[in-house]
Amino acid sequence: MSDLEGRLILCFSSVFPELTETEIHNASTDSVGVWDSLSSVTLAAVIQEEFNLEIDPEILPSLESFEGFRDYLKTAAAAHS
Amino acid sequence: MKLIEALKIAQRTDAGTTPALQVFLACGFSALHLRTFLTAHLRVRRPEIRPEVSVGLFGDLAGNLERLESSSVGAAVIVLEWADLDARLGIRSLGGWHPAHIQDVVRSAEAVATRLKRAVEVISRKVTTVICTPTLPLPPAFITKPRELGLEEARLHRIVASLSESLSQIPKVRIVNQQKLAECSSPADRYDVRSDLQAGFPYTLHHASVLGELLSGLVETRSPMKAIITDLDDTLWSGIVGDDGVDGISWSLDSHSQMHGVYQQFLSSLASAGVLIGVASKNEKDTVSAAFRRQDLMLSPDDIYPFEVHWSRKSESVGRILKTWNIGEDAVVFIDDNPAEIAEVQAAFPNILCRQFHRDDPRSVWLLLNELRELFGKSEISTEDTLRSKSIRESAVWRDEKNLDGNAVEDFFRSADPRIVLDYGRSYDDKRALELVNKTNQFNLNGKRYGHSEWRTFFDNPNAFLLTATYEDKFGALGKIAVLMGTASAGTIHVHTWVMSCRAFSRRIEHQILRYLFEECGAQQITFEFQPTPRNGPLQDFFVGLLGGHLSNPLMLARTAFFAAAPPLFHRVEVNSHV
Repeated sequence: MSDLEGRLILCFSSVFPELTETEIHNASTDSVGVWDSLSSVTLAAVIQEEFNLEIDPEILPSLESFEGFRDYLKTAAAAHS
Repeated sequence: MKLIEALKIAQRTDAGTTPALQVFLACGFSALHLRTFLTAHLRVRRPEIRPEVSVGLFGDLAGNLERLESSSVGAAVIVLEWADLDARLGIRSLGGWHPAHIQDVVRSAEAVATRLKRAVEVISRKVTTVICTPTLPLPPAFITKPRELGLEEARLHRIVASLSESLSQIPKVRIVNQQKLAECSSPADRYDVRSDLQAGFPYTLHHASVLGELLSGLVETRSPMKAIITDLDDTLWSGIVGDDGVDGISWSLDSHSQMHGVYQQFLSSLASAGVLIGVASKNEKDTVSAAFRRQDLMLSPDDIYPFEVHWSRKSESVGRILKTWNIGEDAVVFIDDNPAEIAEVQAAFPNILCRQFHRDDPRSVWLLLNELRELFGKSEISTEDTLRSKSIRESAVWRDEKNLDGNAVEDFFRSADPRIVLDYGRSYDDKRALELVNKTNQFNLNGKRYGHSEWRTFFDNPNAFLLTATYEDKFGALGKIAVLMGTASAGTIHVHTWVMSCRAFSRRIEHQILRYLFEECGAQQITFEFQPTPRNGPLQDFFVGLLGGHLSNPLMLARTAFFAAAPPLFHRVEVNSHV
């Protein structure tokens, strides 16, 4: 597991504390019942703070899964390197 | 604190027995992360409680305040922003910024502020109410350049200042100090425009965390520290009085020693608020006495007790002062310019907070005074605060009594003309009683502390009662010095909490309280929720004296056993029953 993925898991775990690590890997707005609009705002805020970036508000609504966030962060990291 | 940490802390699960503190957070914007940070900071501040922060509806401050008026929470937190005074002062509402609109905004803000004041008056009758006035910048709605304060903008600031002034006079209302907020959260870095538009949450995370921390500190105030032990040479004044002479020491601008004078007037201010000030100085006693006769000193010798002035080690002086004050070392700050003296005292008393007085660094002294204000600050000065120092001087008389024998002891007690006023009732609205319970360590039945909501909830029990004792004798008044909370039914009294100020030791007040419960309340037996704590040795000694042997929970004291062991009591007792 990459450092980025590990930190992202911690972010998810802070917003969805009841999920296991495996469940976090598969987490999406469809699979996690408590993932509502409030959770989305909190999750985005935690991730932005943790990774010191601003998520493009145009893209934010499309980030609906762990995988989606991970890919977004990888792309953002690559763009900065 | 980062949001991820705050979430973890806020979500921590507790044992089911952890008492809850219910807090209502009322604001016009979405409470979102502020709620998380407030919960987390409350938990950090008081790990022994489980804060439950509820919030009202987004965009409805007036409705949230109405809900608050009828709710039964332990504390209320109201966070205002400009948009709560008039929605046109936020950017989520497009009501127009034409100068004519702005004049109307000011009129409407004035009316809202008046309604807010009335609402807070009602809410604060029931619970501690913490208020934060607007923290965000006003929008660019005014015709002046940002650097220039225009009339309407000035009027808005005046409305808020006037609101703060009115609210600060209401008991149980605590207002966030904007000066302190600005120290920790730069005004330019508070507003998150995007978050305001997208989520209705206008704060940056840093600002939300800082605000949550300050609010939590006003919801759950820590007991202030009690005493300062200060050095004299190059600390209270500039110079070495033994070498430079009484006229050679200074604390003035002309002598480039002004910060010593500032320190003196600061200590005088603390003394007037009930903080004990003692002196530990390596000097000749007569020389120091002469120095304290200087008329330009900003600190009266009457504000100081005791003086430990001799050539022994500082730690010996500190030990004697602590014994005189009869308080724990963790309630004391020791201040000296000499790092070696500080190290010696710190080694002997690891729990004393030691601070160096940097005589050549005015900024360092300034920061020290601000730190001390943080440690010793209080919302108001109580009667007991004004009596504390005097009563400790007078306690020396009572300590000497211990050296008397037999009849001489009893004669001494009788001649002191001791008087006790006992107030018996069910009123939980006694701030001094709650303060005593939450800060007393030595004569404390079990060390239990109460939040405001727990304190109130206790009296929901129809059998609950509160007994307080106020004491004075010919040597002076001690004020309200003992609190006992219990339940009474069918000849049995169960005591949940019992504390007595250490200033009141040796006066047999504790015996008189029990006598009252047996004789006037008709108890045949009293049970006590006793728990040993690292610091309640004096209470344990008292019960060993009555019951003998090993103490276990609950302690049981029968009427006959008490009267067999109790010493003669000479107090004149006045009882005020409020049942």
